[in-house]
Amino acid sequence: MLSHANSPARRTSTGQVVTYVLLVLFAAFFLVPIVWLVFEAIGGNLGLISGNLGVWLINSTIYSAAGAAIAIAACVPAGYAIATHEFPGRRALLILTMLVMLIPTSALVLPLFLEANEVHLLTSPFAVILPYGLFPFGVYLSYMYFQTERFNVLFQTARTDGCDEWKVFRHIAIPLSKPVAALIVFLNIVASWTNFFLPWVMYWSTDATNRYPLPLGIALQLFNGETSGEYLGVVQLHTTWPPSAIAFLLLATIAPVVVVLVLAQRWIRSGQFQGVFH
Amino acid sequence: MKHKSPMRPRKTGYLFVAPYVLLLAAIGIYPAGYVVYLALTSLTAHFTGLDNFIDATHNSEFVPAFENMIKFLGIWLTALVVFVVSLSLMLHSLNERVSAAFRFVLYLPAALAGSASVMLWLFMLQPGKSPWGFVLSWLGYHTLGDSLAPAHLPVVFALIAFWSGAGSWIVVMYGALATIPQAALESAKLDGAGAWRTAVNIKLPLIKKWIAYMLIGAFAAGSQLFAEPQLVSEATGGIANQAWSPNQLAIFLAFHYDYFNYAAAIAVDLLVVAVICAAVILLRTGLFGVGH
Repeated sequence: MLSHANSPARRTSTGQVVTYVLLVLFAAFFLVPIVWLVFEAIGGNLGLISGNLGVWLINSTIYSAAGAAIAIAACVPAGYAIATHEFPGRRALLILTMLVMLIPTSALVLPLFLEANEVHLLTSPFAVILPYGLFPFGVYLSYMYFQTERFNVLFQTARTDGCDEWKVFRHIAIPLSKPVAALIVFLNIVASWTNFFLPWVMYWSTDATNRYPLPLGIALQLFNGETSGEYLGVVQLHTTWPPSAIAFLLLATIAPVVVVLVLAQRWIRSGQFQGVFH
Repeated sequence: MKHKSPMRPRKTGYLFVAPYVLLLAAIGIYPAGYVVYLALTSLTAHFTGLDNFIDATHNSEFVPAFENMIKFLGIWLTALVVFVVSLSLMLHSLNERVSAAFRFVLYLPAALAGSASVMLWLFMLQPGKSPWGFVLSWLGYHTLGDSLAPAHLPVVFALIAFWSGAGSWIVVMYGALATIPQAALESAKLDGAGAWRTAVNIKLPLIKKWIAYMLIGAFAAGSQLFAEPQLVSEATGGIANQAWSPNQLAIFLAFHYDYFNYAAAIAVDLLVVAVICAAVILLRTGLFGVGH
């Protein structure tokens, strides 16, 4: 139908209209639930909210902060050494790291539960903090980052000038590591803050409600966990809480992540995740 | 500066990796080994070979749990490959600023993933409360029980997983598209290829290995399904069985019956799936500079 002369332009514009319509529909799919949550929460009666909220918030903060601190202390030097030092087992360690980082963390939850049960750490904060601290992807990020040729020139120059290995790391590698360290902290905190499975398993068997992180505490308090095991044909959620209070609580669990996300938006937009692959 | 990347032949390398290696041993290697040991022994610590693996399959919930998992995976992987790839291609055809705004919106739920997204979707599926109420009523669902009918659960969990997970994959896939050399796209344009032809003939083949990575990675992650069915079960007073997915079944056996050895056997099944997937990604896709 289109004349040959204007067909390329017309084709693009039709294609673009379709593209925009589809993208707006998908954006609505992703955005509407969040918008709903915000408006539902605004209208709520917050006086209904009570309980251990403050304790859970502090727990979540401690677990995520401690996990990220361990992750950064372990990942940055490990990635640095794998990138810049030669030692027997280096390549094996790198491959093992990549393998473990590609295994979903949830595959290790039950094994970690059985281990914690064996060493009597089940109700301890360390039962979640230590697993949060193991972050092989962070080691990989740090390794890729320090592989850069110009960094190696710097390290080499410092050595020639008489710096020992510790000084090179302390005074050159650590200051250089800031961007990658920030990325590791961001990814690690998002992962630990939203983790549900691990704390659920670790704190389930005992009456450890004062150990719950925020998302777990809210989930278990809202829906008191009693199940009949059969289909009841329910008409509504198994909770006595009004939706607005639930919405507020959900918003409270995700607000800290949103803050971290907005701070880190630069990396996501620049597609920097990409830079970590070959 | 003749020599490139001079490596330090020093013991200091070991010191720098020591904290990480200790953590990896204690939190990764040891529990994996311990669960294999439990799976191969009895309560009294006698070696029982594969007995636990075989006995676990005789549990009446075992086959349904794996069936549920496979149905969920089929829907979730199909949705990922169709929508993530097409959305990424669409985003790549826009100008950078518009595309970045869309990417941020699509990525937003991924940052909220976990229990909050599941609970949020319980409202999205409740007629009378949901902003999507018109869709639900069009489908003929009038109660939460209609939305969450047992036959719908694989779709519901795939929907929640897609909402909370697709954004991360779109970021990865878009990043892969961004690495396509501009020259390749220019020459396609000169050859008269339109947006559609360029997407299918040039872009798609160049991101093939990323699609493979996404499919295998999502398969591995999806086979661990736990939070979605567990929370739906708790929030609805038991619409979803507490042993709906294999991971739930393993936890259920461990918590309610102290069948740690059976639970370990199921955990090993799932761990083997995860390790095989990881190894395939590492060795076959060539994305990490290993294999090939």
